[in-house]
Amino acid sequence: MATTLERQLPIGQTAKPRFSRLSDRWLAGLFLTPTMLLLLFITIFPLIWSLFLSFNEWSVTRNALNAPIWIGTQNYAELLSDTRIGERTWERFIVTGQFVVPAVTIELLLGFGVAVLLNRKFRGRAIFMTVLLIPMMLSPVVVALFWRFMMQGEGILNYMATNWLNIGSIGWLTDRNTVIISLIIVDVWMWTPFMMLISLAGLSAVPKYLYEAAAVDRASGWFRFRHITLPMITPLLLIAIIFRTIDAYKLFDLAFVLLGSQGGPGRAGQTAALWVYEVAFSNFDTGMGSALGYIMLIVIIALANVFIRVLNAFKGEGAAA
Amino acid sequence: MNRKQPVWQRVLFWVVLGIVMIFFTFPMYWILSSSFKTRADVTSRVPLLIPYANFQPTMNNYLEILTDEPIESAAGAQSSGSRGEFRNRLINSIIITTLSTVLAVGLGTLAAYAISRFRIPGESDLMFFILSTRMLPPIVVLIPIFLFFSNLGLKDSFLGLTILYTTANLPFVVWMMKGFFYEIPVEYEEAAMLDGYSRLQAIYKIVLPECIPAMAATGVFSAITAWNEFVLSNLLNRDNASTVPPYLNSIVGVGAVEWGRLAAATVIFVIPIIIFTYLVRNHLLRGVTFGAVRR
Amino acid sequence: MADVQLVNVDKIYPGVKALAVNKVNLSIQDGEFLVLLGPSGCGKTTTLRMIAGLEDISGGDILIGGRRVNDLEPGDRDIAFVFQFYALYPHLSVRDNITFPLRAQNVARAEVEQRLAQVAKLLQIEHILDRRPGRLPSGEQQRVALGRAMIRRPQVFLMDEPLTNLDASLRADMRGELKHLQYELGTTMVYVTHDQVEAMTMSHRIAVMNQGVLQQVAAPLEIYNAPQTLFVASFIGTPPMSLIPCRVADGCLFGLNSDFRLTLHGSLVQALNQYKGDIIFGVRAEDVTLDENPAQGDIQGVVLVRELLGDEIIYLVDVGGSTIRTRTSPRVQVAEGQTIGLRLNYQRLHLFDRDTEQRIESKG
Repeated sequence: MATTLERQLPIGQTAKPRFSRLSDRWLAGLFLTPTMLLLLFITIFPLIWSLFLSFNEWSVTRNALNAPIWIGTQNYAELLSDTRIGERTWERFIVTGQFVVPAVTIELLLGFGVAVLLNRKFRGRAIFMTVLLIPMMLSPVVVALFWRFMMQGEGILNYMATNWLNIGSIGWLTDRNTVIISLIIVDVWMWTPFMMLISLAGLSAVPKYLYEAAAVDRASGWFRFRHITLPMITPLLLIAIIFRTIDAYKLFDLAFVLLGSQGGPGRAGQTAALWVYEVAFSNFDTGMGSALGYIMLIVIIALANVFIRVLNAFKGEGAAA
Repeated sequence: MNRKQPVWQRVLFWVVLGIVMIFFTFPMYWILSSSFKTRADVTSRVPLLIPYANFQPTMNNYLEILTDEPIESAAGAQSSGSRGEFRNRLINSIIITTLSTVLAVGLGTLAAYAISRFRIPGESDLMFFILSTRMLPPIVVLIPIFLFFSNLGLKDSFLGLTILYTTANLPFVVWMMKGFFYEIPVEYEEAAMLDGYSRLQAIYKIVLPECIPAMAATGVFSAITAWNEFVLSNLLNRDNASTVPPYLNSIVGVGAVEWGRLAAATVIFVIPIIIFTYLVRNHLLRGVTFGAVRR
Repeated sequence: MADVQLVNVDKIYPGVKALAVNKVNLSIQDGEFLVLLGPSGCGKTTTLRMIAGLEDISGGDILIGGRRVNDLEPGDRDIAFVFQFYALYPHLSVRDNITFPLRAQNVARAEVEQRLAQVAKLLQIEHILDRRPGRLPSGEQQRVALGRAMIRRPQVFLMDEPLTNLDASLRADMRGELKHLQYELGTTMVYVTHDQVEAMTMSHRIAVMNQGVLQQVAAPLEIYNAPQTLFVASFIGTPPMSLIPCRVADGCLFGLNSDFRLTLHGSLVQALNQYKGDIIFGVRAEDVTLDENPAQGDIQGVVLVRELLGDEIIYLVDVGGSTIRTRTSPRVQVAEGQTIGLRLNYQRLHLFDRDTEQRIESKG
């Protein structure tokens, strides 16, 4: 399996060699340089600095004027060990997983489902689409605030639950068991439109005549879906999933405003990102916060790597002779 | 094929669509209606849903936001900021978002072009590196950036935040545009260059017009990201070049939350994005299929 | 194997005033190779798609094998459709593409294999069965599309410009192959194209359409020799027929917009005797002979343009302001600007009413 991203060609085209005219090569440099400079500058420096910090005991909030004290890998040791902090770290990652996996899955299924519904022409379709896009355009802070408002003990959700549905009040943000679910609901509300948009774009790009051919061949709806629709949009969906998973994994502002830095009662909703904030700022331990941030980074890089390989495998399969 | 569907299928379609719409639109409606409510109505325990029937709509919240003069005063609620603050911040947001979006889309497209058209050593590793910059947890980045920018005098400046937002959006733009370039056959440019155009001219005349849908799509996503960004803006740009999102957070006062004002501010704040999206809506769908779907 | 009947078929698109297909009546025999020919937008593809069930019928009826199919789904009409862009499923192998229709209907494995072998052999695609269509050259893709259509053994084959995307030499080969294939299988075939060479060489009959209206249905030679409408006359034939609008007076034709003048002989005089209106006079290049001596021609003219084609020369001649084309052998070489004479084959002139654009029959 190649790990290089396979080049996709329109049907009928044979592979052509790329331009390597010497006179042009400087253009490549010119085009790439600004982007690479920005990326390197803005990200490499913090990365190195954070790495340095993670090996130190220091607090930018409490005693920034004191020099950092080198403690080697002690931060990491504590975070990954059996100590209370280590256990807590492990739990945070579990909570993160409990949030990210259901959230992205629901967003995918729901977004795709809505895209399928909207894929046919019907009156008012444009309005439905536009309105459904608004949730992801709102500020996450505001979204979190309002959902918090609605999820209050005496908020409107509970009002409807008790008076209209007769199921009694739910401790959305106060009951340990429902905190993660509440976070998932809010994230789903906000980001399903993203999946919907990408799914819709993918669906509308499948050439109609493939479906017509299938109709002439008397293929059932399921058959059509499995052999035409799904193979054609999977690469697109995979990329959407990668981006959404990365974003959900490091989600901060939404969770912070909704649950507070401790993630609600008993830290039930404290994802890794929130935990990092608590360590770095509430506990004034910038060094350990950086170490924790690094651990998070390594985990997601490994995960993304797996994703990319799956994506390439899928694309490679499609192009195999 | 437009054969008439059986009735039950059509009913099911509208029912399901209806449920979905309710889930998504109810909170939006809640925010919208709250923006027209007085302080008393907004915090009422019984939800007041229908204007004029359940509550008297008022424009006070909007006026307060736009002029920054509190009309109702309530004990414990802090009025935030100086006169005209929301307007200033709104303008700042527009400037910073526009600049960073244009830069992100422009530079990202060029970079994507270079990667897709020229043989670059270690291309897939390069792409993974670009993707990985998006994976950085905010904390890892926050403090170093804060110190870094303070030293460079970029703290609380338009330039500083613009650079940050541009960088934040570049990975997405590069990934999207790269796939899109695969869809445009090299032959177009070759033909133009054979006709005597330089490569730059060929790109400008031939390639870019084809890219507009994809650039529109990535532009929308980038704009939304920059427009709503809170953490960095709150940390860095507190005075001169402040944007709206921290302001929204500050409406959550010490005492009661000013839900009405918050709602009004939110509504005003989301309108420019809606306008922008509406303007490019035709390009949006076409632009997102970047060659991952074969023809 | 079945016949296909189109009775008063209409197609209206909402919001568009002109009918896309206008009262088409067509009777296609069982086992016939019928070509729907016309320029783009004439309604031929729409008609084909209505037969297939990919478009709804706005008016009239379509019968396949005596069965009214207006309300039947495409899959229930027992037809096969070959698309212009082949419509091959990119993620399935050639083998899976071809057997797709049978698998979709749960045909027994053994039967599927047997039919696949037959089809692969006939189309000579056995060597590519396990490849993906995306990487195949267009000629092979097209054969795969044919295979997928054939494996179902439908009553009717419907083809939408299948050769348009092939290069010229391949197209020439495939024309012969398709014609032979249809002959072998004996299946009714309805074939859409805008290319008259395909129409002339492959069909039993041609149905010419323009702007939604069926112009003429006849065997190729009859279409060529006796076009019923002005459109058919101008559309068929390379180089195009020379057409000159005229009025009739005193047994002569006088050009309406020029000084063209032709004295009529024999049967033509009788045909036009009672004719009151204006006509359009047409003659094909091969029915006009060039004589270097102007005096020996029925009409005189000045050579405007010369097209040297290798095996013949085509001259465009100015006759009093109108133009006539003539074909000569390469041996007759005349210079541009030279005055020459043209002799017409009076048996093979075409006359059309100027208003109705219908052919005026001449006896003899």
